[in-house]
Amino acid sequence: MNRRAFFKLSWGALGVAAICSAVAVSLAAVVRFLMPSVFYEPPQSFKIGEPGDFPFGPPTFLVEEKIFVFRDRDKGFSAASAVCTHLGCTVAHFQSDQRFHCPCHGSIFAADGTVQHGPAPRALDWFEVTLARDGKLLIDKDKVVPPSYRLMV
Amino acid sequence: MERKLQQIFFALSLIALTLILAAAWQANTPSWKTYQKNFLQLEAQGEPNAVTKAAVLATPPQIHQVMLTGLQRVDRCTTCHLGVEDPTMKNAPEPFRYHAGLGPHIPSRFGCTICHGGQGLATDKDNAHGKVEFWQSPLLSQEYIRASCGRCHKEGDVPDVPELAEGRRLFETQGCRGCHKLNGVGGSIGPDLTEEGANHRSPEWLERHFLAPNAVSAGSAMPNFHFTRDQARDLTYYMLSLTNEEMGSYFSSMRSIPGPAYGRQLFIEKNCIACHAVGGVGAKIGPDLLGVTKRHSMEWLDEQLVNPELVYPGSSMPEYDLETNARKAIVAFLSAATPDDLRLIQSGKPRAQSVEEVAIEAGKQDFARFGCVGCHGTELQGGVANPNAQGGEVPSLLHVSDDYTKDEVIAIIRNGRVPPMDNAAGPPPPLYMPSWKHVLSDEDINRIADYLWSKQQQKKDSW
Amino acid sequence: MNLIREIWQSIVRRDPLSTDKGKSELVFLNVWLHIHPAKVKKENLRFKHTFYLGFITFFLFLILLTTGIALMCYYRPYPPQAYQDMKDLQFVVFMGPFLRNMHRWAAHGMVVCVFLHMCRVFYTGSYKKPRQFNWVIGVLLLLLTLGLSFTGYLLPWDQLAYWAITVGTNIGSYAPLIGGQVREILLGGHSVGEGALLRFYVLHVAVLPSLIILLTIVHFWRVRKDGGLSQPVWKLKPQETESLVTIGAPTAVEALHVAPASTDKTYGLMEVVTGKPIFETVTPEEEEDTVFSYPYAFVREAVVLMATVTTIMMMSLFLNAPLEELANPAKTPNPAKAPWYFLGLQELVSHSALLGGVVAPALMVIALIAIPYLDRNPSRRPGDRKWMLWLFTFFVVVNLALIVVGTFFRGPGWALVPPWVHVAGGAE
Repeated sequence: MNRRAFFKLSWGALGVAAICSAVAVSLAAVVRFLMPSVFYEPPQSFKIGEPGDFPFGPPTFLVEEKIFVFRDRDKGFSAASAVCTHLGCTVAHFQSDQRFHCPCHGSIFAADGTVQHGPAPRALDWFEVTLARDGKLLIDKDKVVPPSYRLMV
Repeated sequence: MERKLQQIFFALSLIALTLILAAAWQANTPSWKTYQKNFLQLEAQGEPNAVTKAAVLATPPQIHQVMLTGLQRVDRCTTCHLGVEDPTMKNAPEPFRYHAGLGPHIPSRFGCTICHGGQGLATDKDNAHGKVEFWQSPLLSQEYIRASCGRCHKEGDVPDVPELAEGRRLFETQGCRGCHKLNGVGGSIGPDLTEEGANHRSPEWLERHFLAPNAVSAGSAMPNFHFTRDQARDLTYYMLSLTNEEMGSYFSSMRSIPGPAYGRQLFIEKNCIACHAVGGVGAKIGPDLLGVTKRHSMEWLDEQLVNPELVYPGSSMPEYDLETNARKAIVAFLSAATPDDLRLIQSGKPRAQSVEEVAIEAGKQDFARFGCVGCHGTELQGGVANPNAQGGEVPSLLHVSDDYTKDEVIAIIRNGRVPPMDNAAGPPPPLYMPSWKHVLSDEDINRIADYLWSKQQQKKDSW
Repeated sequence: MNLIREIWQSIVRRDPLSTDKGKSELVFLNVWLHIHPAKVKKENLRFKHTFYLGFITFFLFLILLTTGIALMCYYRPYPPQAYQDMKDLQFVVFMGPFLRNMHRWAAHGMVVCVFLHMCRVFYTGSYKKPRQFNWVIGVLLLLLTLGLSFTGYLLPWDQLAYWAITVGTNIGSYAPLIGGQVREILLGGHSVGEGALLRFYVLHVAVLPSLIILLTIVHFWRVRKDGGLSQPVWKLKPQETESLVTIGAPTAVEALHVAPASTDKTYGLMEVVTGKPIFETVTPEEEEDTVFSYPYAFVREAVVLMATVTTIMMMSLFLNAPLEELANPAKTPNPAKAPWYFLGLQELVSHSALLGGVVAPALMVIALIAIPYLDRNPSRRPGDRKWMLWLFTFFVVVNLALIVVGTFFRGPGWALVPPWVHVAGGAE
């Protein structure tokens, strides 16, 4: 094609590209606008107190965060989710058999969270427990760890 | 013409695209992201090896907020003030520095604006510090921050803030209530001060006003009380603490936060000095308690008082049957206890009154605090109308010892009582004595009974 | 390849745009575009005929719809959360300030442009027969626009919003007999509170937009049925009038000049049956003055759309919508001012509540609506309408002057304070 036709085509293409980009960027901006930057919910990562606050033996149940905090004399801290993997009911932990029982549909989880009985499809999650810089225990629900994970303090 | 129009259209599209990109870029580069990046670099320096360094530096930028739903506050200060709970950041430059001396008042639980003021919802420096038009509570200057303690700690002595108690005392003794209402009691000549702290007046204005009312409020009828600078400061602190937010009840149970004075009394009562010392003064059987609240959390200390064996197996500390408020009071006392306090206790010259007087005073406080005066009167005179009750009104308690034993009165307070009706066929009386056993502890009820007994008039004799 | 062509042709069922038939079909086979005629008069497309104000107003409305719906994802109409949500939009929502600004400036722009559009229609006499009722609909649209702006004004729940609406609803309550009742229904109470916020929100996002859309449809439809835009003023010949109007069949037929049949033009059945649009004769000469809507009309509309959007975006990048302190019923700012478009009214009210707040605006609205019916002069030429033009200009200037006085010359206590002496609180 000759030069004139080439430039005509280029400008046209540039124009069309501009419109398409403007539309695409607008759409992307709207989508990003709709994604919240802050959540009015309890945070996923939170401090639960000093290690000394937690007794050995039966786990401490944190009501709002729905977490069991275990403290093993030899091995240290671990934190298990108290939310049943079936439909979300809160499980109970019994000292007598060291297992988690869900009242809703009868699921039973072993001491390490694996499913032993009932309709639950997955094991209970264990969350990362670390020590924050001010010496408090920090649980991060975004970080799932294997059941053998312990924090030795 | 048409060709030109097409070109104009495309050119405008380019401009529109540029503008959207500019807006998106602006939205994507807020100042807090820069602060967070700088903080991560600072943090990474403290990391031992390259892997953890990289992990820290890779943390995605995020707005941090503390939600205090009961107070309808949201504080986003920790988005930039990232080191505020991190003791290793003691020497970091602001805004990353560690905030020492907070005790239980950590930002993740209390937010920041309750004490400091400012605009918690904002995420850039000027707006967050509240130094903008249309935000009326900017950051309090260093001199006045401690006044904020009084917004929750409304009674008794507040550790480290003697100005509050002194300001309150001045208010009550200098006749301020003659012209100003406070909590519904007082005159109507001046403005109601119940929520003066929420009126967004600058502390400097308040102080100047106390020193020379007419110079600050032209034409004011308020006389010049010739306060000293310190007195004006104390009164200003007190005013600043008068906010309408129910922060006390948000952070603790319905009972008000007990003061250290009561804790001191318990310390004596339970004879803690038999095993413990503060700063070397006392016994050496148990650990020294100087600064114990800085070493341990409130929860830990509380548990220690409930069940010492659980925390230190084999401990010889007895299990005291104390309830929540008593334990809080002891811990409050320990947070400010000095060796001198213990010397005074040792020498048997307590600053407070005798055990009985303290109990009666505590009973009187409870009687007022829990609203008994609403029906039974500030002087126990009764008299509030209660139609179709026998006697037609709430009874006076000044002669209750004539008709009941102390144990019977205690039982009535615990279990409540419906007044007998005058006319059985008529409507039931609207007022009745509620049951308090689930609200008040046995000790509280006993102290109220002590207070009542101390007020009994010897009617029999005067017949 | 064939499959792709088959899919494409199942969606786009017209002839290619290179053909006249295709250009026509693009218009009348497309549900979004078929309000346009397939061909428009060239002269009607010129900028100086309408300044495209109608389209600008409409595009501003589209901007308001889209930005408004986006903002609805973050805004709760309950005090005091409403204010907190405004702060959230400002500080933690991606492009929150930008979208809010766009909404605010488009709103003010729409009030201005709807007013300018009304002036243009008046000055070109385009309300005259047969377009009288469309003018009335236009006045209703003006009132709905003001209503949308007013209801939206309250939503940020800051001092500016709260007191502006307090003043505005109080002005309205001066209407005789029903004023007080209407105010109570609007507010859901005796004063501006959470009931008012919720009701204003419902009005702002549901009721008034529905009404304005419905009336806009009628407004556009009637323009089309009137034969499109009125003839530009410079094309009007003396002694000749636009209206060769007869409603009804017999004489209309005589007035019709059917365009010479063309081999590459096809009209839908409806066109053949009724002939050309019945209120407008199209002579063969005029026929040559028409062009296809695609691309001539559409490219201009596209440019107007882009220019409007770009202007609003520019404003939104650099000018921030105001947000004052949280609404405080106990603290009235001094002075408390209504939104700027009601400041002229507030100025009148400050002199006399009944006359200024009720009689004057009622008369103005009635006068506006009555214009097409009171105007017995069939000519649209400016030379023949001097009185009307001066009268209208006078009222426009008086209104603007009142607004200027109310905005810049009224200080605390509504005292007259020139702006160079005291920084008057300009309402946004």
